[in-house]
Amino acid sequence: MRMLEFFRSAAVRLALAFVLVTTVATTAVFGLVYLEIREANEKRNRLILEDEAAKSADHSLDELRNAFEVRLTHDLRRIDYAALFGPDRNVMFGNIKTLPAISLDGKAHFMAASPVGGGDNRLEPAIFVARLRPDGNIMVLGRSLLESLAFRRIVQNALAAGLAPMLLLALAIGAFFARRASRRLTAIHDTIARIMKGDTHLRLPLRSGSDAIDKISQDVNLMLDEIVRLLVQIKGVGDNIAHDLRSPLAVVHAQLERGLETSNDEQLRAIVKQALAHIDRAMVTVAALLRLADVEYGSKSSKFTTIDLSAICTDLFEFFEPLATSKSIKMTLEVQSPVQIPGDGDLMREAVSNLIGNAIKFTPENGAVNVSVTQEDGRPVVRVRDNGIGVEPAERDKIFQRFYRTESGHRVPGSGLGLSIAAAIANLHDFDLRFKDNDPGAVFEMVGRRK
Amino acid sequence: MTTSNRAQSIVLVEDESELANEIRIELERLGHLVRTASIAQAADAARVGDAALLIMDRIVFGEDSLATLEVLRREGVKVPVLVISALSSIDERVRGLRAGGDDYLAKPFAIVELVARVEALLRRLEDVRTTKLRAGDLEMDLIEQKVYRGGTRIDLLPREFKLLEYFLRHQGRVITRAMLLQDVWQYHFSIETNVVDVHISNLRKKIDVRGVPSLIVNIRGAGFMLNANA
Repeated sequence: MRMLEFFRSAAVRLALAFVLVTTVATTAVFGLVYLEIREANEKRNRLILEDEAAKSADHSLDELRNAFEVRLTHDLRRIDYAALFGPDRNVMFGNIKTLPAISLDGKAHFMAASPVGGGDNRLEPAIFVARLRPDGNIMVLGRSLLESLAFRRIVQNALAAGLAPMLLLALAIGAFFARRASRRLTAIHDTIARIMKGDTHLRLPLRSGSDAIDKISQDVNLMLDEIVRLLVQIKGVGDNIAHDLRSPLAVVHAQLERGLETSNDEQLRAIVKQALAHIDRAMVTVAALLRLADVEYGSKSSKFTTIDLSAICTDLFEFFEPLATSKSIKMTLEVQSPVQIPGDGDLMREAVSNLIGNAIKFTPENGAVNVSVTQEDGRPVVRVRDNGIGVEPAERDKIFQRFYRTESGHRVPGSGLGLSIAAAIANLHDFDLRFKDNDPGAVFEMVGRRK
Repeated sequence: MTTSNRAQSIVLVEDESELANEIRIELERLGHLVRTASIAQAADAARVGDAALLIMDRIVFGEDSLATLEVLRREGVKVPVLVISALSSIDERVRGLRAGGDDYLAKPFAIVELVARVEALLRRLEDVRTTKLRAGDLEMDLIEQKVYRGGTRIDLLPREFKLLEYFLRHQGRVITRAMLLQDVWQYHFSIETNVVDVHISNLRKKIDVRGVPSLIVNIRGAGFMLNANA
């Protein structure tokens, strides 16, 4: 689950980064365009003003007055300033009321000014050139930057209008890719989890494309094929060994028994008895191992009929109850109506018998064992509950493994394959065999995968 | 232990010579006539009534003996057949019994298990449809489903009744735990607890009389036996 969360947050981070980059890039483009145009515009205005101011230095007052009138008349956009101030700094003619506070150096200066021709006193940015004429008068030319401002507003509006949908689009695309990536990763994660739980026939999902995830998935699938092949091989070796051990074990067993019958040497007889006990154990294990292999490789439905879990558990309850009573264990049964499933009655009996046998085995005197058959959410459930020694948390993953016997279980005789066989039988019936803590004790439940 | 049909012999079909040898030695030790044979020889012996019982390995030198068994049964040959097999898969037992086997034993087995089953099968032939079973002063009325010991009625649970009936029908024979599981409870799998012993012990408590040796005795390394003369 931790892995899943990581991928999820990574996908989300990726989406957010995508949005951020898109936003910055868009804003930068707009900003650059705006700055470039504004710079060029302002520079040109400055040059023109300075040039005009320089050129008109030699004009007579009348020429200047005419030039100003022509200039201002032709200024249809009302952005031009032109005025002549006397040495007393009072305006002689033109459309500027007061001399702007700039040096009279003939260079363009930026400052705020009253709008041209407008009645209100709002100030607007403008550039001015002031030049002291030889006759002592001061000529001022100016140009409002109102257009520049308007242009800036247009750019800003365009940016605002364009950025919001852009942001949304980026977010949507980011979310789409993040979701798609996380959905695939979730699917891969779920598959891996199921494979780890034992569904070794499953493979990682592939899309038709061949992107990086697909390539990795393909590699993992090939790896799984190889692992399964090796697993089957190892299992096969184990099963073959068990297979080949059967006859020698049977023969040795028979010979030892014959020895026991015919010998009168007490010392020898004692040794043979011990040997027989060990051979017996080996035979139990070999038989259980072969049984497990049979169930695991067995095909379902060949012998499947409609079986009643309630009847099976009632029958087994009656079978095991005297054993429980002999250990002063209180054994109870909870079954209601028949719970029918398609299955092999012999195998189901074997699986439940292993669970009940274990429960009694690992429950001390005066304990309690409960067997129940229920339908939960429409799923058939067989539950064997005890208040015995339970299973240590560290051992809970391992109890279904072949031959695994808990630390405490080592003192109790058995093949160590009972739970493996029960799990294999459950699996064959599309049931899951699960362990739950009963604190104290253990709960083993077989739950149908299908309703 | 007694044997039923000295004139006839047990015919053993088993290609693993050492195992066949051990089976033969043990059965002969108990007084049976035993001879090993091929599938065809065994079939011929059965046809002419020369076999008390067939012990057939499922696969002999690569040949499936069930096919021959099916043929024998179709011909109406009634000889009891014990099928032993290295095939222990889920369906094998059913297949063996369906083909006409009377009992099925998966390898590896203890020889005592095989012998007990052989003797049970031989004994079965002698069974007549009786309504009453007796062992000493123990009497079981199969029609009334009642049990008496020395004239006193004993109350048994249905399963205890079946268990006792099985013992009474196999008096003087070794009964293994696996046989009881298979024939009394119809459980065709091994049980790693001593639950069968507990059932026997409970039955003993009900049928035994204080001061008299138990009717059902333990046979070390094999199982149990009901012996009226014990």
